[in-house]
Amino acid sequence: MSTSTSEKQPLWIRLLTPEPPSTSSSGLHSSQGPEKSCSPLAPEEELVSASQLEEEEENENEEENLDPDLALDVEEEEEEEENSLGDPAVLTAVHNAQKGLLSSPGIKAPGVLGMSPTSLYFLCQTLDYLSPSPFRPTHASTSSPARHFGPRLLSPDPSLFCSSPTLQSPRFSHLTQLHPQHQRMLQLQQQSRTPSPPAKKPWSQQPDPYANLMTQKEKDWVIKVQMVQLQSENPSLDDCYYQKYYQKLEKRQADEELLGQRSKVESLKLVTPYIQKAEAYESVVRIEGSLGQVAVSTCFSPRRAIDAVPHGTQEPEIGATSSQRLRVLYWIEKMFLQLLEIEEGQKDGPSRPCYSEQQRNQVEKLFQSLNTPEQNHLDEAADGFLQVLSVRKGKALVARLLPFLPQDRAVSLLLAITHHLPLLVRRDAADQALQMLFQPLSKYINHLTFHELLQGLQGLMLLPPGSSERLVTAVLQNQFGISLLYALLSHGEKLVCLDSSLEESNSDHTVWTDIVILIAWEIAQMPATSLAEPLAFPSNLLPLFCRHVDKQLVQQLEATMQLAWIY
Amino acid sequence: MNYMPGTASLIEDIDKKHLVLLRDGRTLIGFLRSIDQFANLVLHQTVERIHVGKKYGDIPRGIFVVRGENVVLLGEIDLEKESDTPLQQVSIEEILEEQRVEQQAKLEAEKLKVQALKDRGLSIPRADTLDEY
Repeated sequence: MSTSTSEKQPLWIRLLTPEPPSTSSSGLHSSQGPEKSCSPLAPEEELVSASQLEEEEENENEEENLDPDLALDVEEEEEEEENSLGDPAVLTAVHNAQKGLLSSPGIKAPGVLGMSPTSLYFLCQTLDYLSPSPFRPTHASTSSPARHFGPRLLSPDPSLFCSSPTLQSPRFSHLTQLHPQHQRMLQLQQQSRTPSPPAKKPWSQQPDPYANLMTQKEKDWVIKVQMVQLQSENPSLDDCYYQKYYQKLEKRQADEELLGQRSKVESLKLVTPYIQKAEAYESVVRIEGSLGQVAVSTCFSPRRAIDAVPHGTQEPEIGATSSQRLRVLYWIEKMFLQLLEIEEGQKDGPSRPCYSEQQRNQVEKLFQSLNTPEQNHLDEAADGFLQVLSVRKGKALVARLLPFLPQDRAVSLLLAITHHLPLLVRRDAADQALQMLFQPLSKYINHLTFHELLQGLQGLMLLPPGSSERLVTAVLQNQFGISLLYALLSHGEKLVCLDSSLEESNSDHTVWTDIVILIAWEIAQMPATSLAEPLAFPSNLLPLFCRHVDKQLVQQLEATMQLAWIY
Repeated sequence: MNYMPGTASLIEDIDKKHLVLLRDGRTLIGFLRSIDQFANLVLHQTVERIHVGKKYGDIPRGIFVVRGENVVLLGEIDLEKESDTPLQQVSIEEILEEQRVEQQAKLEAEKLKVQALKDRGLSIPRADTLDEY
């Protein structure tokens, strides 16, 4: 039979060979009899309507060849009419094709298809897949059986024929961008697949013996690792493009859903899991009474540096062993933390004026903890304070705290320092770090009253028992000491100049004069080399000295001080 | 893609036939059985395919474990379309012979080129990396 031979040939060849005129003419015109509604046609029509192939008009023939297992009686019946092309199914196909993308308005004859060679080739390719010999499935679905390499086992996938009808569009995510031609091809394949005639005998699938070597657990683990790498605190920053794209897509879907064009389709979104960060643990264990630290070092915190060992001259502290010193250091650290908090709170706001209530409280608390001795009890209870100031960090602490203090507090601090200046200077021999206090302190010197000033300076004039030189000598030899002294003197001079009432002879004024003379004498006495260079040399010092001491001394002073200044 | 939308992942490619191109120029074809986070691959029933002109030859290799950094690209092979290739399969001996001939010709051409450049006082620095094929 002609049909059997034609089955062997690809369809396009059959189409190109001239058909008997009866078939060609009747192909177009619907001068056919009433549609046969015999049941054998039903599956065929079903196939035709389901596929909706636009570019192919040979649906009917194709479907014949689609499945060799199709009931033979159907095939045989169709075989008889195949040549006639008067089949209503063919008509439908032809109509479909006419609506298709063929450039020519109609099909003149099955022989002249009016298709470009490339689309012909396309057709050939697609049809080849569906031709029964050799039978090959048209699409490798996700669960395709493995092919043993070597002899090819061409077992079709039953899922081809039982694919879910919902997947009409290519079953990729919204992100797959396919060339339109590619997309069309895939659509064709899928459409030709979706007809799942129930009469089909299920094709036994050759199971892949090596499938799932990678278990689901392992897959999940890999995915988890990959997800962890993707997680971020700020996805709109790190993954901007995807987030924006997804928002746009969702909006578009929502709009389409509103318009009723599309049923609610949820696009998948990448959501990275939130995984708790591993807790930081204390790797350094301090056991009370042990010698130092237990050596527990990990990659996260290598062995901590040993605590700073105090160097420099150690004064014999009665009963105060190194534990005392440690206590002071510890105390300083605590206070420093408080100071840092204050500084942090103040960082954002303006420099000085408006301190919040909380800040003021903090500052006050810190001041109290400093244990600054009271005005009246300058000598007593100064121990802690002095100890703090003996440590470099303590000096830094006070220096940084001063700007925050209210005036009265700062003044009392200044006076305390002035009072204990010789001791501080002595202890500072190693560090030489008192200088950092000068700047903040000098701001408050101007706020001293005359009386306060005198009180502060008086302590310096004392002659300690068992020593030939006054305390002030040591002060003069220290840079900070001499700078502070000069600043204080300058301030006193200013006050005296401004307020003529102080000129009168009263106790205060006498004291003042005594102090000035004494200091001048001490300066003159000292060799120029041992006189420390002041950080700031007030301009009104020399006039001050001029007024109180004789000329000769002034000249001597000048010389000494100038020399010291040059140094 | 279902697992990690918006990303590229090899999870969906497991148990499928793949063509893998390596950095040293080899072409491997096999079933992808396992992966990890570095895209190290386990290929099963692997075949090394050598292409010379319009001919190719397959050398069966068995199981391959490929370190991820050596992979240039890989792609799934459509089992149906696998045979629709204009290339002609030949025996292993033949393809190896063809390859040798091709390598020879290439070397000769390279030698001539270098000589010609040398005559003109130019020199091309040699690329001493693996990625040259």
